[in-house]
Amino acid sequence: MTETEAICLFKCLADKSRLQILKSLMIEDMYVERLSERLGITPPTVSFHLKKLTEANAVTSYKSQYYMMYHLNRKIFETPILEILKEKSDDADMQAQRDAEYRQKVIDTFFEYGKLKSIPAQLKKERIVLEVIAESFEFDRVYTEKEVNLLIADFYDDFCTIRRDLVSEKLLDRNTAGYWRVKSAGKDH
Amino acid sequence: MNDAIKRMNQFLNDQIELCRKEEKSLQADSRKDEADFQKIKANVYDIFRTILSAAQKAGSGDLEKTKEFFLLKAEQIPANWKAAYETAKLHDDTKRMVIEELKLNTIEEIKKEFLRCWEETK
Repeated sequence: MTETEAICLFKCLADKSRLQILKSLMIEDMYVERLSERLGITPPTVSFHLKKLTEANAVTSYKSQYYMMYHLNRKIFETPILEILKEKSDDADMQAQRDAEYRQKVIDTFFEYGKLKSIPAQLKKERIVLEVIAESFEFDRVYTEKEVNLLIADFYDDFCTIRRDLVSEKLLDRNTAGYWRVKSAGKDH
Repeated sequence: MNDAIKRMNQFLNDQIELCRKEEKSLQADSRKDEADFQKIKANVYDIFRTILSAAQKAGSGDLEKTKEFFLLKAEQIPANWKAAYETAKLHDDTKRMVIEELKLNTIEEIKKEFLRCWEETK
Protein backbone atom coordinates (compact mmCIF):
# COMPACT_ATOMS: atom_id res chain seq x y z
CA MET A 1 0.00 0.00 0.00
CA THR A 2 1.46 3.38 -0.98
CA GLU A 3 1.46 6.31 1.41
CA THR A 4 -1.28 8.04 -0.60
CA GLU A 5 -3.45 4.90 -0.49
CA ALA A 6 -2.89 4.58 3.26
CA ILE A 7 -3.94 8.21 3.85
CA CYS A 8 -7.03 7.66 1.70
CA LEU A 9 -7.94 4.53 3.68
CA PHE A 10 -7.40 6.08 7.11
CA LYS A 11 -9.38 9.20 6.17
CA CYS A 12 -12.15 6.96 4.95
CA LEU A 13 -12.21 4.93 8.15
CA ALA A 14 -12.43 8.02 10.36
CA ASP A 15 -16.22 8.02 10.10
CA LYS A 16 -18.64 6.16 12.35
CA SER A 17 -21.16 5.36 9.61
CA ARG A 18 -18.48 3.87 7.39
CA LEU A 19 -17.14 1.80 10.26
CA GLN A 20 -20.69 0.56 10.89
CA ILE A 21 -20.99 -0.38 7.22
CA LEU A 22 -17.70 -2.30 7.38
CA LYS A 23 -18.83 -4.07 10.54
CA SER A 24 -22.01 -5.15 8.78
CA LEU A 25 -20.05 -6.36 5.77
CA MET A 26 -17.90 -8.42 8.09
CA ILE A 27 -20.96 -10.55 8.77
CA GLU A 28 -21.89 -11.03 5.13
CA ASP A 29 -22.06 -9.28 1.76
CA MET A 30 -24.96 -6.82 1.61
CA TYR A 31 -26.72 -4.45 -0.78
CA VAL A 32 -27.49 -0.77 -0.23
CA GLU A 33 -31.10 -1.11 0.98
CA ARG A 34 -30.19 -3.84 3.44
CA LEU A 35 -27.40 -1.72 4.90
CA SER A 36 -29.74 1.25 4.97
CA GLU A 37 -32.37 -0.64 7.02
CA ARG A 38 -29.78 -2.16 9.29
CA LEU A 39 -28.01 1.10 10.10
CA GLY A 40 -30.89 3.58 9.91
CA ILE A 41 -29.16 5.66 7.24
CA THR A 42 -30.89 6.68 4.00
CA PRO A 43 -29.99 4.62 0.91
CA PRO A 44 -28.36 7.60 -0.90
CA THR A 45 -26.15 8.20 2.14
CA VAL A 46 -25.22 4.53 2.26
CA SER A 47 -24.33 4.72 -1.45
CA PHE A 48 -22.23 7.78 -0.75
CA HIS A 49 -20.27 5.97 1.98
CA LEU A 50 -19.91 2.83 -0.13
CA LYS A 51 -18.46 4.89 -2.96
CA LYS A 52 -15.85 6.30 -0.58
CA LEU A 53 -15.10 2.85 0.82
CA THR A 54 -14.74 1.47 -2.71
CA GLU A 55 -12.33 4.26 -3.66
CA ALA A 56 -10.26 3.49 -0.58
CA ASN A 57 -10.24 -0.16 -1.67
CA ALA A 58 -11.94 -1.16 1.58
CA VAL A 59 -14.88 -2.79 -0.19
CA THR A 60 -15.55 -4.29 -3.59
CA SER A 61 -18.84 -4.84 -5.37
CA TYR A 62 -20.38 -7.41 -7.65
CA LYS A 63 -23.76 -7.95 -9.27
CA SER A 64 -26.05 -10.64 -7.96
CA GLN A 65 -29.39 -10.87 -9.77
CA TYR A 66 -30.96 -7.41 -9.36
CA TYR A 67 -28.68 -6.31 -6.57
CA MET A 68 -25.26 -4.74 -6.39
CA MET A 69 -23.65 -6.58 -3.51
CA TYR A 70 -20.85 -5.10 -1.43
CA HIS A 71 -18.04 -7.20 -0.06
CA LEU A 72 -15.45 -6.39 2.60
CA ASN A 73 -11.92 -6.41 1.22
CA ARG A 74 -10.43 -8.40 4.10
CA LYS A 75 -6.99 -8.46 2.54
CA ILE A 76 -6.50 -4.73 3.02
CA PHE A 77 -7.39 -4.99 6.71
CA GLU A 78 -4.92 -7.78 7.22
CA THR A 79 -2.06 -5.40 6.32
CA PRO A 80 -0.14 -4.69 9.54
CA ILE A 81 0.10 -0.97 10.29
CA LEU A 82 3.86 -1.40 10.66
CA GLU A 83 4.00 -2.50 7.02
CA ILE A 84 2.32 0.75 6.05
CA LEU A 85 4.79 2.76 8.12
CA LYS A 86 7.68 0.99 6.43
CA GLU A 87 6.46 2.10 2.99
CA LYS A 88 8.74 4.60 1.38
CA SER A 89 7.22 8.05 1.60
CA ASP A 90 6.11 9.81 -1.56
CA ASP A 91 7.63 12.95 -0.03
CA ALA A 92 10.92 11.11 0.38
CA ASP A 93 10.92 10.38 -3.36
CA MET A 94 10.41 14.05 -4.10
CA GLN A 95 13.19 14.96 -1.69
CA ALA A 96 15.53 12.43 -3.31
CA GLN A 97 14.76 13.91 -6.71
CA ARG A 98 15.45 17.44 -5.47
CA ASP A 99 18.73 16.25 -3.93
CA ALA A 100 19.77 14.61 -7.20
CA GLU A 101 18.98 17.78 -9.14
CA TYR A 102 20.97 19.89 -6.69
CA ARG A 103 23.90 17.49 -6.89
CA GLN A 104 23.92 17.64 -10.68
CA LYS A 105 23.81 21.42 -10.59
CA VAL A 106 26.88 21.56 -8.32
CA ILE A 107 28.75 19.09 -10.56
CA ASP A 108 27.90 21.11 -13.67
CA THR A 109 29.07 24.30 -11.98
CA PHE A 110 32.39 23.06 -10.60
CA PHE A 111 33.49 20.58 -13.26
CA GLU A 112 34.33 21.38 -16.84
CA TYR A 113 35.21 18.54 -19.21
CA GLY A 114 35.93 16.34 -16.21
CA LYS A 115 38.29 18.83 -14.57
CA LEU A 116 37.55 20.56 -11.29
CA LYS A 117 37.55 24.32 -11.84
CA SER A 118 37.89 25.28 -8.15
CA ILE A 119 37.27 23.83 -4.73
CA PRO A 120 33.85 24.99 -3.54
CA ALA A 121 33.90 27.18 -0.43
CA GLN A 122 30.67 25.65 0.86
CA LEU A 123 31.23 22.37 2.68
CA LYS A 124 28.05 20.80 1.28
CA LYS A 125 29.18 21.53 -2.27
CA GLU A 126 32.75 20.42 -1.59
CA ARG A 127 31.39 17.13 -0.28
CA ILE A 128 29.61 16.56 -3.61
CA VAL A 129 32.77 17.39 -5.56
CA LEU A 130 34.82 15.02 -3.38
CA GLU A 131 32.25 12.25 -3.86
CA VAL A 132 32.64 12.60 -7.63
CA ILE A 133 36.44 12.33 -7.34
CA ALA A 134 36.16 9.39 -4.93
CA GLU A 135 34.16 7.50 -7.57
CA SER A 136 37.35 7.09 -9.62
CA PHE A 137 38.75 4.88 -6.84
CA GLU A 138 37.86 1.21 -6.84
CA PHE A 139 36.54 -0.48 -3.74
CA ASP A 140 38.62 -3.18 -2.01
CA ARG A 141 41.88 -1.93 -3.48
CA VAL A 142 44.77 -0.30 -1.63
CA TYR A 143 46.40 2.62 -3.44
CA THR A 144 49.88 4.04 -2.80
CA GLU A 145 50.04 7.78 -2.13
CA LYS A 146 51.54 8.29 -5.58
CA GLU A 147 48.62 6.46 -7.23
CA VAL A 148 46.18 8.56 -5.22
CA ASN A 149 47.91 11.78 -6.25
CA LEU A 150 47.89 10.78 -9.91
CA LEU A 151 44.20 9.94 -9.85
CA ILE A 152 43.35 13.23 -8.16
CA ALA A 153 45.62 15.17 -10.49
CA ASP A 154 43.36 14.13 -13.35
CA PHE A 155 40.74 16.33 -11.71
CA TYR A 156 42.70 19.07 -9.99
CA ASP A 157 46.27 20.24 -9.70
CA ASP A 158 46.26 20.77 -5.93
CA PHE A 159 46.06 17.02 -5.24
CA CYS A 160 47.40 17.41 -1.67
CA THR A 161 44.39 19.44 -0.52
CA ILE A 162 41.93 17.11 -2.24
CA ARG A 163 43.64 14.02 -0.83
CA ARG A 164 43.52 15.40 2.70
CA ASP A 165 39.86 16.44 2.27
CA LEU A 166 38.94 13.00 0.91
CA VAL A 167 40.35 11.48 4.07
CA SER A 168 38.80 14.04 6.41
CA GLU A 169 35.41 13.51 4.72
CA LYS A 170 35.89 9.77 5.27
CA LEU A 171 35.63 9.01 1.56
CA LEU A 172 39.15 7.56 1.67
CA ASP A 173 40.91 5.94 4.61
CA ARG A 174 44.56 5.24 5.09
CA ASN A 175 47.20 3.39 7.10
CA THR A 176 50.86 2.67 6.57
CA ALA A 177 50.02 0.35 3.65
CA GLY A 178 48.25 3.06 1.69
CA TYR A 179 44.80 4.48 0.89
CA TRP A 180 41.50 2.79 0.11
CA ARG A 181 37.97 3.85 -0.74
CA VAL A 182 35.53 3.75 2.19
CA LYS A 183 32.22 2.00 1.67
CA SER A 184 29.49 4.28 3.00
CA ALA A 185 26.45 2.60 4.52
CA GLY A 186 23.77 1.91 1.92
CA LYS A 187 25.16 4.24 -0.70
CA ASP A 188 28.19 2.86 -2.50
CA HIS A 189 27.36 -0.80 -2.24
CA MET B 1 -46.83 40.35 7.43
CA ASN B 2 -49.19 37.90 5.76
CA ASP B 3 -49.85 34.70 7.73
CA ALA B 4 -48.63 32.42 4.93
CA ILE B 5 -45.34 34.29 4.69
CA LYS B 6 -45.03 34.30 8.46
CA ARG B 7 -45.59 30.53 8.62
CA MET B 8 -43.23 29.86 5.77
CA ASN B 9 -40.57 32.02 7.38
CA GLN B 10 -41.05 30.15 10.63
CA PHE B 11 -40.76 26.81 8.80
CA LEU B 12 -37.49 27.85 7.14
CA ASN B 13 -36.06 29.19 10.41
CA ASP B 14 -37.01 25.97 12.22
CA GLN B 15 -35.49 23.79 9.51
CA ILE B 16 -32.24 25.75 9.54
CA GLU B 17 -32.08 25.45 13.32
CA LEU B 18 -32.82 21.71 13.11
CA CYS B 19 -30.13 21.14 10.47
CA ARG B 20 -27.54 23.02 12.52
CA LYS B 21 -28.37 20.99 15.62
CA GLU B 22 -28.22 17.78 13.63
CA GLU B 23 -24.94 18.87 12.04
CA LYS B 24 -23.35 19.43 15.46
CA SER B 25 -24.66 16.14 16.76
CA LEU B 26 -23.36 14.22 13.72
CA GLN B 27 -20.01 15.91 13.98
CA ALA B 28 -19.77 14.94 17.64
CA ASP B 29 -20.62 11.38 16.57
CA SER B 30 -17.70 11.29 14.08
CA ARG B 31 -19.99 11.38 11.04
CA LYS B 32 -18.49 14.34 9.23
CA ASP B 33 -19.88 13.65 5.76
CA GLU B 34 -23.42 13.34 7.09
CA ALA B 35 -22.85 16.52 9.12
CA ASP B 36 -21.85 18.20 5.84
CA PHE B 37 -25.11 17.01 4.28
CA GLN B 38 -26.98 18.85 7.02
CA LYS B 39 -24.95 21.96 6.27
CA ILE B 40 -25.94 21.66 2.59
CA LYS B 41 -29.61 21.31 3.54
CA ALA B 42 -29.37 24.33 5.85
CA ASN B 43 -27.86 26.35 2.98
CA VAL B 44 -30.80 25.49 0.72
CA TYR B 45 -33.30 26.56 3.39
CA ASP B 46 -31.29 29.72 3.90
CA ILE B 47 -31.30 30.53 0.16
CA PHE B 48 -35.09 30.21 0.12
CA ARG B 49 -35.47 32.29 3.25
CA THR B 50 -33.72 35.08 1.33
CA ILE B 51 -35.91 34.40 -1.69
CA LEU B 52 -39.04 34.59 0.42
CA SER B 53 -37.97 37.98 1.63
CA ALA B 54 -37.20 39.07 -1.95
CA ALA B 55 -40.58 37.71 -3.10
CA GLN B 56 -42.32 39.73 -0.43
CA LYS B 57 -40.59 42.89 -1.62
CA ALA B 58 -41.27 42.07 -5.27
CA GLY B 59 -44.95 41.48 -4.51
CA SER B 60 -45.25 44.75 -2.53
CA GLY B 61 -48.33 43.52 -0.75
CA ASP B 62 -49.78 41.57 -3.67
CA LEU B 63 -49.87 37.95 -2.40
CA GLU B 64 -50.34 36.42 -5.84
CA LYS B 65 -47.27 38.23 -7.13
CA THR B 66 -45.30 37.09 -4.08
CA LYS B 67 -46.36 33.49 -4.67
CA GLU B 68 -45.49 33.66 -8.37
CA PHE B 69 -42.06 35.15 -7.67
CA PHE B 70 -41.24 32.49 -5.07
CA LEU B 71 -42.40 29.56 -7.19
CA LEU B 72 -40.59 30.89 -10.24
CA LYS B 73 -37.32 31.03 -8.29
CA ALA B 74 -38.03 27.59 -6.87
CA GLU B 75 -38.05 26.35 -10.47
CA GLN B 76 -35.15 28.44 -11.79
CA ILE B 77 -32.62 27.91 -9.04
CA PRO B 78 -32.63 24.09 -8.96
CA ALA B 79 -32.25 23.91 -12.78
CA ASN B 80 -28.48 23.89 -12.35
CA TRP B 81 -28.74 21.27 -9.62
CA LYS B 82 -30.80 19.05 -11.90
CA ALA B 83 -28.23 19.45 -14.67
CA ALA B 84 -25.41 18.70 -12.21
CA TYR B 85 -27.28 15.59 -11.03
CA GLU B 86 -27.71 14.33 -14.59
CA THR B 87 -24.04 14.95 -15.40
CA ALA B 88 -23.01 13.13 -12.21
CA LYS B 89 -25.30 10.23 -13.10
CA LEU B 90 -23.77 10.04 -16.56
CA HIS B 91 -20.32 9.76 -15.01
CA ASP B 92 -21.46 7.42 -12.25
CA ASP B 93 -20.32 9.99 -9.68
CA THR B 94 -22.29 8.71 -6.69
CA LYS B 95 -20.94 11.31 -4.30
CA ARG B 96 -22.04 14.23 -6.47
CA MET B 97 -25.36 12.54 -7.19
CA VAL B 98 -26.14 12.21 -3.49
CA ILE B 99 -25.39 15.87 -2.85
CA GLU B 100 -27.45 17.13 -5.80
CA GLU B 101 -30.30 14.78 -4.91
CA LEU B 102 -30.27 16.09 -1.37
CA LYS B 103 -30.56 19.68 -2.62
CA LEU B 104 -33.36 18.72 -5.01
CA ASN B 105 -35.26 16.85 -2.29
CA THR B 106 -34.91 19.83 0.02
CA ILE B 107 -36.30 22.24 -2.55
CA GLU B 108 -39.22 19.86 -3.19
CA GLU B 109 -39.96 19.88 0.53
CA ILE B 110 -39.79 23.69 0.57
CA LYS B 111 -42.16 23.99 -2.40
CA LYS B 112 -44.64 21.58 -0.81
CA GLU B 113 -44.56 23.46 2.49
CA PHE B 114 -44.89 26.80 0.71
CA LEU B 115 -48.03 25.66 -1.14
CA ARG B 116 -49.45 24.15 2.04
CA CYS B 117 -48.95 27.43 3.94
CA TRP B 118 -50.60 29.30 1.09
CA GLU B 119 -53.55 26.94 0.93
CA GLU B 120 -54.16 26.86 4.66
CA THR B 121 -54.14 30.60 5.10
CA LYS B 122 -56.44 31.37 2.19
